[in-house]
Amino acid sequence: MDQIKQELKKQIIEQLNLEDVAVEDIADDTLLFASDGLALDSIDALELIVLLEKFYGIQVVNPEEGKTAFKSVDTMAAYIQQKTAQ
Amino acid sequence: MTVIKGYCHINKEDCWVNGKPVLAKTDDPEYSWLRQIYNFVGLSYPKFHKMDQLAQAGVLALALLKHEGDLPMDYSEEGVDLVLANRHASAGSDLRFQASYADHAAPSPALFVYTLPNIVLGEIAIQQKWYGDHIFVVLPAFDPDFFIQYAQRHIQQGCQAVIGGWLEVTDTETDVFLFLAEAEESTGKGGSLPLAAINELYRQPMPSISKL
Repeated sequence: MDQIKQELKKQIIEQLNLEDVAVEDIADDTLLFASDGLALDSIDALELIVLLEKFYGIQVVNPEEGKTAFKSVDTMAAYIQQKTAQ
Repeated sequence: MTVIKGYCHINKEDCWVNGKPVLAKTDDPEYSWLRQIYNFVGLSYPKFHKMDQLAQAGVLALALLKHEGDLPMDYSEEGVDLVLANRHASAGSDLRFQASYADHAAPSPALFVYTLPNIVLGEIAIQQKWYGDHIFVVLPAFDPDFFIQYAQRHIQQGCQAVIGGWLEVTDTETDVFLFLAEAEESTGKGGSLPLAAINELYRQPMPSISKL
């Protein structure tokens, strides 16, 4: 699980071009879309959907699932684990 | 009468503000030319790094004009109208997006956003909180009459300032010219060049700064 979280942090930084952000800046529970978190926007949300498909083969087809899954690296990792276990 | 309060140029090697050299590109392998300008103007704007080159060039030209031209640009939210033009629209991002289809099963949404040249205007509007009229026009070449008429008409109609110019950024060409126009009687800082001189200002010779 910890390995998935580390990979996710690297992938988020790379895919979303977060040039001023380092892996160490993202805590497992940092809110991805909150202004006091990573402050991602709606285009970033689409990029996260693409990221899950590209690296994990997961298609987010239910928007409600995305809302919960994309809260933080913690929730994304749990979502990946749940989907890959199915 | 409408006058030009300030203007700037960015080409492949240098930045000039009001006809004066301000920055020359270095061979720093860590930073691209646009990133060198970003560092120079002291911007701290994370969204900048997600933009395409066209949008980055627009944001940087404005920052150069504002800071190096000593123009406060403290207008009301509706007080500024923007007019930009170029020849190749968003061709660089269009090609990159097209290539991303070939490379990945799922092309990048962040790349897709920039496959319209007018996105640069939205980026400037969001960054500056300027919500006046704005337009991006694709022209075969820099057309001084187009900018003169636009600026005169919009200033006459009551907007505080018009910021406009030519924004041609491709993989092989960087030709950026941005000007700020206001009514002559405005009390804002800056120079007072006649709007009719816009063609000469755009075509002003810019010898390589490193050879000056």
